[in-house]
Amino acid sequence: MRRSRYIARKITWALITLVFVITLNFFLFRVLPGDPARAGIHDPRLKKEAVEAIRVRYGLDKPVINCFQTLNPVEFGDCLVNPLETQFFIYVGNLLQGELGISYHTNRPVSSMLGEMLLNTILLIGLGQILAIVLGMLLGILAAWKAHTTIDYAALLFSLTAWSLPTFWLGIILLFIGSSQWGLPIGGRITPGMTYENTWQQIVDMGRHLILPTITFTIVFLGEYMLIMRSTVLDVLSEDYILTAKAKGVSNFQILKDHALRNAMLPMVTIIALNLGFTVSGAIQIEAVFSWPGLGGAIYTAVGRRDYPLLQGAFLLIAVSVIFANLAADLLYSYLDPRVQET
Amino acid sequence: MIKRYLFALCVLLLLLLVACGGQDTIDDSGSTEGEVVEPAAEATTPEEAAPEPSEPVQVRIGWGGSPDSLNPGLGVLTEAYTMYELLYDSMYQLELDGSYTLELAEDVQVSEDGLVWTYTLRDGVTFHDGEPLTAADVAFTYNLYAEQVDFPFLPVYTDYFDTVEAPDDKTVVITLSEAIPNIESQLVFLYVLPEHIWSQVDNPAEFENLEMIGSGPFKMREYKQNEFVILDAVKDHYLYPPKIDGAVFQTFDSQDALVQALKTGQVDMITEMPNTAVVSLRNEPNVEVVTGPPLAPSLDDIILNVTEPENCPADDGVCSGHPALLDRDVRLALAHATDKQQIIDVVLLGLGSPGLTLVPDGLPAFYNSSIEDYAYDPDLANQILDDAGYLDTDGDGVREMPDGANPLVFRLNWPSDSTKYPRTAELLSASWGEIGVETEQQALDPDTLTAICCPTFDYDVLLWGWGSDPDPAFLLSVMTTDEIPTGTSESGYSNAEYDELYVQQATELSLDKRIDMINRMQEIAHHDIPYIIPYYDQAVQAFRTDRFQGWLTDAGKIELSDITSLVVIEPVGQ
Repeated sequence: MRRSRYIARKITWALITLVFVITLNFFLFRVLPGDPARAGIHDPRLKKEAVEAIRVRYGLDKPVINCFQTLNPVEFGDCLVNPLETQFFIYVGNLLQGELGISYHTNRPVSSMLGEMLLNTILLIGLGQILAIVLGMLLGILAAWKAHTTIDYAALLFSLTAWSLPTFWLGIILLFIGSSQWGLPIGGRITPGMTYENTWQQIVDMGRHLILPTITFTIVFLGEYMLIMRSTVLDVLSEDYILTAKAKGVSNFQILKDHALRNAMLPMVTIIALNLGFTVSGAIQIEAVFSWPGLGGAIYTAVGRRDYPLLQGAFLLIAVSVIFANLAADLLYSYLDPRVQET
Repeated sequence: MIKRYLFALCVLLLLLLVACGGQDTIDDSGSTEGEVVEPAAEATTPEEAAPEPSEPVQVRIGWGGSPDSLNPGLGVLTEAYTMYELLYDSMYQLELDGSYTLELAEDVQVSEDGLVWTYTLRDGVTFHDGEPLTAADVAFTYNLYAEQVDFPFLPVYTDYFDTVEAPDDKTVVITLSEAIPNIESQLVFLYVLPEHIWSQVDNPAEFENLEMIGSGPFKMREYKQNEFVILDAVKDHYLYPPKIDGAVFQTFDSQDALVQALKTGQVDMITEMPNTAVVSLRNEPNVEVVTGPPLAPSLDDIILNVTEPENCPADDGVCSGHPALLDRDVRLALAHATDKQQIIDVVLLGLGSPGLTLVPDGLPAFYNSSIEDYAYDPDLANQILDDAGYLDTDGDGVREMPDGANPLVFRLNWPSDSTKYPRTAELLSASWGEIGVETEQQALDPDTLTAICCPTFDYDVLLWGWGSDPDPAFLLSVMTTDEIPTGTSESGYSNAEYDELYVQQATELSLDKRIDMINRMQEIAHHDIPYIIPYYDQAVQAFRTDRFQGWLTDAGKIELSDITSLVVIEPVGQ
């Protein structure tokens, strides 16, 4: 009973956040300076009629919302227009029908563009995150168990270094080594123009392209997980119940597995959920170095071109994934530590 | 619960490790089978250098961008135009020496008044889907471009068209509203589309055109935006049958990766690279670096706000330019205090040519090379300012206006998306500082820069750039009085004689007379100094010498991804 109320409350909050994000998403880009009909085409050869026709095609000739024609510069308009004829409610209406609009830059549907890129980004982030989490946790436990020995210091030094390395720099270095020493591909998702005899060859080709970016991703994110794991396990190991367990003759492995790990999972889950949002931005740099066609690079270009539909779609996607990751973390807490339901 | 979770993770990890290990062994065996891309063995063994006959011979090109649209009406980026050039034909082909040759047409007749142009199309021209290309397609296309106002660029080139008609399958008759000297440069970008496809399209401005059916020497196989474009050769093309089987354009987001891809042999040619990489690539075996004027010339300019109060646009004008900039002596001093060679050496690492006016040396027919530029001479510049009464009366190192007020402190702005301008600004600030002129530097978002530039004229000095058409008419129009209120004029420059010559050259049918007029216009602009042009850009490209031969490197301008090279290159050793 108590658990279901807790879950219902968390879901409600997630939904409220989502509505807020959808609204903010719309206005955020419209208060930025710049005209999407001209952005990216800084060429005065563009005729006034062409700009006007492009604005009509994008729906930018309509008022942003009742009383406001445009937001930057702020220009007041008719307050009595039909709200359904304003950009905001057209946007909301389309969103409710699952329509994200057409990208200004590529003239392609945003949903299909995001679909392709999201898959690529998930592949890169997913692999990298799983490796970073697993290796980071293992290394953290090892360091905590062997606290204040050479192993611990070596692991600490490695993690701190990895954590503080600039992603871009590490990527470039790995790219040089990987391409010239190991013959790995320099960029992209697959080898364009290659003819595959079977699906396995295709998977192998893609796998080869994934190796370098994944290693970069893992190294950059591993350090943080290791450090947090190490310190929480150290904390737990100093608890009285560990001493009790030791006194009962429980094996080291059992102590780590049943007592230390379970209690150390809570901060890990928090950090992993929080990181999900940051990984997209972290992936921007890796995507740029390895020409990986993911979300990050697309967002970067879209900002420059004032590509509102693509930006709105991408930010919505990121916001939704962060909200869901946090929701999932909240729900997971209630299993990991039943006490949280009471708060 | 936790136990299972951890176990699953460990299994996943193990699987991954196994998968990675597995890939390596498979790749090792793969290389012996003679894969197309095998950098480990690049070019060391003869059988690797020349692809096996069974494999399609594809040239692999690395570039930093990707076409933004395959619809010729919508594309903005250079990469999109590269595709249009390869997949479509137009009436003329722009050669690397800047001349035009007939492409779709085999003959052209012009009426005595220069108004009626009659083109006879070649025989045997077909679209990639097998349909014949007829005069009706040409007329349909030109009318489409003229009517489709929300195509950003192409409608401009139809401005002088009165009617376009196709009396029979082979004949296209273009009637102009005014006789113009440069019809070639108008038609060269009007890519001919198949009427049987485009007439079925509801709204051409929303058409993705993914199949890209044209009549050019290459056709579309696969396009993944921001990843790659794969083209197949049209081996029986009526005019330029390629010797290779296809071309792959791969996008690299990072310039370092682009250079590395060429070094390791993962690509055969790169269309761009940072100037810093030139030295290291020149030392690389099997790689040749080529530099020269780009096919589409471009230049950077130092724009001085010279808008006279009476020319300030009534609607949008702010016209807050520093009054000293209206004095030619001040502008002359700034020109003498600008060390163009230093800017070229530092900013472009020597890969550029000194600039003169808005007409670049990449348009050799129109570029006035006889103009003698203002030499870098700070002493002379100081002298000019002293003589004109701009003295440092309060001893703070900055000169004041002759009336003692208003120190010569200029706002200096540039677009924040460029890596070249910040260094140029630094150098300018130092060398102008030597003559008692101070600058307040700030990079601005391009949109903001547009807002302060024109037609508001709310700035003192801007650093920006232009790309040029093959004809100088547009860049010449930038300095006319008529363009001040439209936003095309960036400097607010106005000169009656210049304006008059501009109007005359637009309809002067004799090329020699037109060139004389354009030369005179450059002299006027150079004398009045609304702009200081630090340099003209150069194209920097490189290719592998062990893969393909025949790249056009000495035909005038440099553009290895242009149709002129791609239809003549062939594998090395064949």
